[in-house]
Amino acid sequence: MVRFKNRYVLCEVVSEDPRCRQCIEDRAVGLAVRDAIGRVHGDFGLACCSISFTVKYLNAYTGTVLLRCRKDSYRLLCSALPFVRQLESRNQRYPCFLNTLHVGGTIRTCQKFLIEYNRRQLLMLLQSCTNEDERRCVQKSLLSCSLTEEQCLSGNEDDDD
Amino acid sequence: FSVGYSAVAVNHVIDFKEKKQEIIKPVSPSELFPSLPVVQGTSKRIKVLTRLTLVISDPSHCNLLRSTSPNIRLYDIIAVFPKTEKLFHIACTTLDVDLVCINVTEKLPFYFRRPPVNVAIDRGIYFELLYTPAIKDSTMRRYTISNAISLMQICKGKNIVVSSAAERPLELRGPYDVANLGLLFGLSEGEAKAAVSTNCRAAMLHGETRKSACGIVYTLKKPRKVEEEETLPACKKAKTQA
Repeated sequence: MVRFKNRYVLCEVVSEDPRCRQCIEDRAVGLAVRDAIGRVHGDFGLACCSISFTVKYLNAYTGTVLLRCRKDSYRLLCSALPFVRQLESRNQRYPCFLNTLHVGGTIRTCQKFLIEYNRRQLLMLLQSCTNEDERRCVQKSLLSCSLTEEQCLSGNEDDDD
Repeated sequence: FSVGYSAVAVNHVIDFKEKKQEIIKPVSPSELFPSLPVVQGTSKRIKVLTRLTLVISDPSHCNLLRSTSPNIRLYDIIAVFPKTEKLFHIACTTLDVDLVCINVTEKLPFYFRRPPVNVAIDRGIYFELLYTPAIKDSTMRRYTISNAISLMQICKGKNIVVSSAAERPLELRGPYDVANLGLLFGLSEGEAKAAVSTNCRAAMLHGETRKSACGIVYTLKKPRKVEEEETLPACKKAKTQA
């Protein structure tokens, strides 16, 4: 049966500048990744990877990005991700880097991984909580994050920053 | 911020262009970080090791390694950066180090030969590649990849450690990404993941065996070979346990 097989790469945008979080957009991230692939793998790599390349999901609060590419060229994409140095949007550049978390064949597997990852992050946040109110909020969201049919693509989480 | 490593080594580089240079005492890790951050996923703290890199361009510099300066024993890992072919040969076969750094910032003046590389693999010495120059600059990226691939062709991907010489926190990359960089250098998937995890741990253990046996090497000359052979099985045992 002819079916196009894709790979979904889950990454996290890490930056020192807190303002960088606000400018994470799908177009900016897509451009930065394409630029990195072009620099590392040249015209051939850029052409191969952009066959089915899109940014499927973006969460500006946590900096989580889900990219999609063809199964044949996901190695080119993964090996070029460490070379992303900055994000550009609205004529502003922020230095940052992408940290690859998980590569999966379907969006559902990446979603499961992301929920587990977020749960672990929430646990770590719980340990470094200073306020009783924050503690209660984090505990409540920990208990309520799970995979349901209607749920959108992330566990519940609070913005504790 | 956290990227996902459980042990980190802080590097001191010593260059031998000046004539008289003494080895500085390493900065204790507790002075650098008041409280060490916790490893992601476990509740242990990150281990911080100290490491010394010697840039040698002359055979007389190697005497420093054999000297009984007390400061050299305070470093957990010792690395050597040879500049000529003869020094590379000496470093692989006789010098008492844990890592041999491979230059990535310029075209290598010498070609690797198989005999010293095989001896180094038997002794448990690892070859180190840096990846931060590749991220910064395009010409250095070419040199990095060409030097790395020529090393791979000789050593078949064994005993490789990939590390960053990052001076700023934004130049670091997570372990999954560094393993993917290893794919660019010509390693296979399993070898690339090992280059980040098991090989590093084995190099660390090699440093520990070197530290613990050091005192015995200089006092008794006759049983010296026995002591060195005993450190090798400890290394191999540690590798299989790690």
